[in-house]
Amino acid sequence: MNALPARTMRGLVLPLALLVAWQVWGMATTNPRTPTPTRIVRAAVELVESGDLPLSIATSLGRVFAGFAAAALIAIPLGLAMGASRPVERNVDPVIESFRPIAAIAILPLAILWLGTGTPAAVLIVAYAAFFPIVINAIAGAKRINPTLLRAAATMGLSRFAIMRTVVVPSALPAIGVGLRIGMGVAWTAIVAAELAVGAKAGGGGTGGIGSMMFIFYAYSIELNRIVVCMIAVGLVALVLDRALRAAMRWLMPWSAS
Amino acid sequence: MSAAKLRLRHVGKRFGADAAKQTVAVDDFTLDVAPGEFLVIVGPSGCGKTTILNVLAGLEPPTAGEAFIDQRPISGPGPERGVMFQDYALFPWQTVSGNVEFGLRHGPAGDGLDTSARNARVRATIDLVGLQGSEHKYPHQLSGGMRQRVALARLIANEPQVLLMDEPLAALDAQTRLILQDELLRIWGQDRSAAQRRTVVFITHAIDEAVFLADRVAVMTAHPGRLKALIDVALPRPRNDATRADPQFQALCQHIWSLIRDEAYRATVA
Repeated sequence: MNALPARTMRGLVLPLALLVAWQVWGMATTNPRTPTPTRIVRAAVELVESGDLPLSIATSLGRVFAGFAAAALIAIPLGLAMGASRPVERNVDPVIESFRPIAAIAILPLAILWLGTGTPAAVLIVAYAAFFPIVINAIAGAKRINPTLLRAAATMGLSRFAIMRTVVVPSALPAIGVGLRIGMGVAWTAIVAAELAVGAKAGGGGTGGIGSMMFIFYAYSIELNRIVVCMIAVGLVALVLDRALRAAMRWLMPWSAS
Repeated sequence: MSAAKLRLRHVGKRFGADAAKQTVAVDDFTLDVAPGEFLVIVGPSGCGKTTILNVLAGLEPPTAGEAFIDQRPISGPGPERGVMFQDYALFPWQTVSGNVEFGLRHGPAGDGLDTSARNARVRATIDLVGLQGSEHKYPHQLSGGMRQRVALARLIANEPQVLLMDEPLAALDAQTRLILQDELLRIWGQDRSAAQRRTVVFITHAIDEAVFLADRVAVMTAHPGRLKALIDVALPRPRNDATRADPQFQALCQHIWSLIRDEAYRATVA
């Protein structure tokens, strides 16, 4: 009962000291826009109560889930096929590797010109960003299979398709899980960046999403406290997404004790 | 004597594309295995024992000669030949039950079985190898001896006609090994008549294990892997601890050791 809380308390000393120092510094400066912890909490309460922040997060999350799902649906089967078959890998790998250095945000100009400044462009950016970590980990997963397991299944008379389904996919699942977690992380990063940039193009028009809300606070109403609230919200959502994916992986893979 | 269940005719296996640098793993290996026979192949490491087993399993084609099952050439793996691998080869994402059920559920061994018949077979097999109470554990939660029991249960649940076993007890400690040798003979059906037994080809480097289990021992030598001698083991069945104390058992072990001793010494010096 005693040991752990005491250690937790000691761990909180530095963060609390920094918060207090920040607050004191903010109150010492006369600029009313300067963000301080108390002003940020007040701004957070306002944004939540007005419904603006929850709605923006929901909009962004909807785009992330759509783009992420599209990326996973293409990247997982493709990665498994590449990892399991040399000819497929030899053909597809150069294509993937030549696109991979192009950052998701760098395809934004084309996305906006083709799809406009709304949801479709944002979803495309997210799908593009999430695709690479998922496909690369799926390839690695399909390659790391213990060959004796494939032989064991073959000696039991399983067809190639049955082996793919019952041996290759479960063997690759831990690696696929890692890819999905990384992919979700970059998808969420990409949506904020994409919405910020789309916000600039759309002139603050109503494309919605947390990035676009940040753009309005930056370019129009100039509210630093609200921008910081958005930054914190972005971090918290990312944390929740990762924890949820980890829990889903543990539930899907009860055999991996880690 | 009835026709051979398994037949190896002048089987050879070379590795490497370049003729000058080829390694000869197995050379001119000819052997018949009778139905219901327990044949053990013994020999030093590198003598090509595993290659012979893989040829019979259909996992590796020979580079010379031919292998047959029931007079038909072996061209690939088949559910009538079950294989037990040295490193267990259990599916880590399946529980004990899931592993035992695997071939019945996903392979042709379960054709014609409905769910309740399949469950009954899995249940009976788990009881047979003494794994009651561990059905829902994953392989990583089991000891080496228990994993080997799961591998054995998975093999026999499919009811293959031929059991091909590649040093299945090699990774176990000495006591567990003796226990599983007894268990293996019980499960194979040493109390039943020869006609009701399955054909077994079992690989080991342990001479006492070979003599204890086998109807016949095929002794191999290495570089290149060749069949050196075929030795009948006329010890009565059922075999048990008394068998190990039998002077005839000791004499056979000595005899086989004398056949491979020189080479084994040379291998330790080299």
